[in-house]
Amino acid sequence: MTTTINASNSGSGGLVQTADASGILALQTAGTTAVTIDASQNVTLAKGLTVGATAAPTFMAYNNANQSISSATLTKVRFNVEEWDTNNNFDSTTNYRFTPTVAGYYQCSFAFSTEPSSGVITRVFGQFWKNGAEYKFGNDFNGATVTGSEPTGSCLIYCNGSTDYVEIYGYINGGTPVIRGTQASTWFTAFLARSA
Amino acid sequence: MTLYEKIMVLYPELTQADFAPFTGCIRLQNDLDGKGDYIAKWEHPTLARPTVEQLA
Repeated sequence: MTTTINASNSGSGGLVQTADASGILALQTAGTTAVTIDASQNVTLAKGLTVGATAAPTFMAYNNANQSISSATLTKVRFNVEEWDTNNNFDSTTNYRFTPTVAGYYQCSFAFSTEPSSGVITRVFGQFWKNGAEYKFGNDFNGATVTGSEPTGSCLIYCNGSTDYVEIYGYINGGTPVIRGTQASTWFTAFLARSA
Repeated sequence: MTLYEKIMVLYPELTQADFAPFTGCIRLQNDLDGKGDYIAKWEHPTLARPTVEQLA
């Protein structure tokens, strides 16, 4: 048995309650259970959970023009076009940074495509920066002599929902480096994986 | 000429290892804030940090 609270649409409708001693509570709409809470406080949803855009920020940004950088110089990667930015938390015009306004753990990922306009590359990697300092590293291609490479990175990063921000830096050694401006290969994205 | 290239002209004895992330004693950086490349770290044991005039 179950104690139920039903938003009924039967007859004149209204709130219909039934009670027993099971310790189980069912929340119903139109007589169908949507949420069940058992006696141990486990919650079961009958269907998926929809989270609003404001509650769970996500963005995808990319670079649409080649970015020339200096060899052996750690440089912030530019992402100047947004595919989406549900809560206006990504700055694609000035600082190219993600400053979520909801506290939580964000799954962040990036990729950027590189090529030298001349010479060859001997080392390339990308980094997550948090609050203006190195935080986590993506993959590091070191020692290989190549004419192009696409470092990537993925990391769960906690942000406090007010001041914390995340940026991407890249390092390329060799030749005259260029980070390609292409929607498909130079991008930065994040979504809220778990609220604080 | 980039900052890296200017430093290499000034101190040709430097190697790429000196600029290597994690292990090098020199770090060059660019924050896309309009200020361009700059020396974020200079911890070379014998060579002095270049002055603005030397890099001009």
